[in-house]
Amino acid sequence: MRAWLILALVMSSPAHAGDEKDKARLLLRQFGCGSCHRIPEVADAVGDVGPSLEKFGARSYIAGILPNNTDNLVRFIRDPRSVDSRTAMPNLGVGEAHARAMAAYLRSLR
Amino acid sequence: MKKALIVIGALLVAGAAAAAGLLYSGVYDVSALAQHLGPTFRVLDVAMKRSVKVRSKDIVVPPLENPALIARGRARFEEHCVQCHGAPGVAPHAFALGLTPAAANLVSTGELWPAQDIYWVVRHGLKMTGMPAWEFRIPDEDLWATVAFVKWLPKLSPADYAAMKGDASRAAEGTHPVDPERGRLAIRQYACVTCHKIPGIVGANAPVGPSLAHLGVRKIIGGHLPNTPGNLAAFLREPRKYKPDGAMPELGVTERDARDMAAWLGQQGR
Repeated sequence: MRAWLILALVMSSPAHAGDEKDKARLLLRQFGCGSCHRIPEVADAVGDVGPSLEKFGARSYIAGILPNNTDNLVRFIRDPRSVDSRTAMPNLGVGEAHARAMAAYLRSLR
Repeated sequence: MKKALIVIGALLVAGAAAAAGLLYSGVYDVSALAQHLGPTFRVLDVAMKRSVKVRSKDIVVPPLENPALIARGRARFEEHCVQCHGAPGVAPHAFALGLTPAAANLVSTGELWPAQDIYWVVRHGLKMTGMPAWEFRIPDEDLWATVAFVKWLPKLSPADYAAMKGDASRAAEGTHPVDPERGRLAIRQYACVTCHKIPGIVGANAPVGPSLAHLGVRKIIGGHLPNTPGNLAAFLREPRKYKPDGAMPELGVTERDARDMAAWLGQQGR
């Protein structure tokens, strides 16, 4: 019984990670991120308004201001003006869970 | 004949493989505590001096024995040179004592080196030695003032040096047409590539800040400024005016350098 459980867990985790990525890509499209940013493997994400998000996981800073970690990225996605009062990036009304999913995806880009 | 070519080819391949193996083995010690072998130092020294000679031979030296010029050079020397090179009766700063190779004593350089060679080294710097290029920090007239002072140094006792007053005024920058190729050189000279990926510029290309690969087609820069050459130049000069909490520092970019850099960056991604 236990062996089956472990096997099920092992087999489900990569697929699970893939699901998370697909979900994040869908969210990134749904919030229109790609109209301003280039984002790898997100359809139509070829915007040149703001910086490219290619290899974002390796970037040191978010918006040039915050150290790049998950909590800071969630904060910036949810309320960009709380980080940089003059930023052109609008508040898109992103919920916590959605912001976390997108942040995880962006931080996985290396 | 054909056989000889095959043998030479095989030797070249074997040599390249041995060199690659030597590099990869890590046997070469890059520590600044490990001094060069005597012959290595002499070979590098000859290579450096020949390289400078060949490049400086057509430089026209202006009159240097001019007290006003020497006084300006005295000030530039105090601002930019004494930290590493020391001066008569003055030690280099502690950090500079740890450099390999150690910076030259400029009293000896002033005595032994022709002015055009000193000018070339001050302006261009020396790769892998710690000697920076001063072309983008000091106006040309003041580079010559610095050379004039170095040539004057051997005439000074330590007491003369200490008593000598410098003239802190700087030569004006003058007007120049916008030059994107000069901008590309300036981008290297402000070390932009240590924080940004910039295709065409060799260096760390570290992703500290965003890639500048498509800056020419970007609509917004600095998070909120419309991407015009004027705005880009203004941001390059005073990034913290536009992003007060930003990590990008003020680098002391001159107006001319900012304009030329903006012109080059504006071509990227087009």
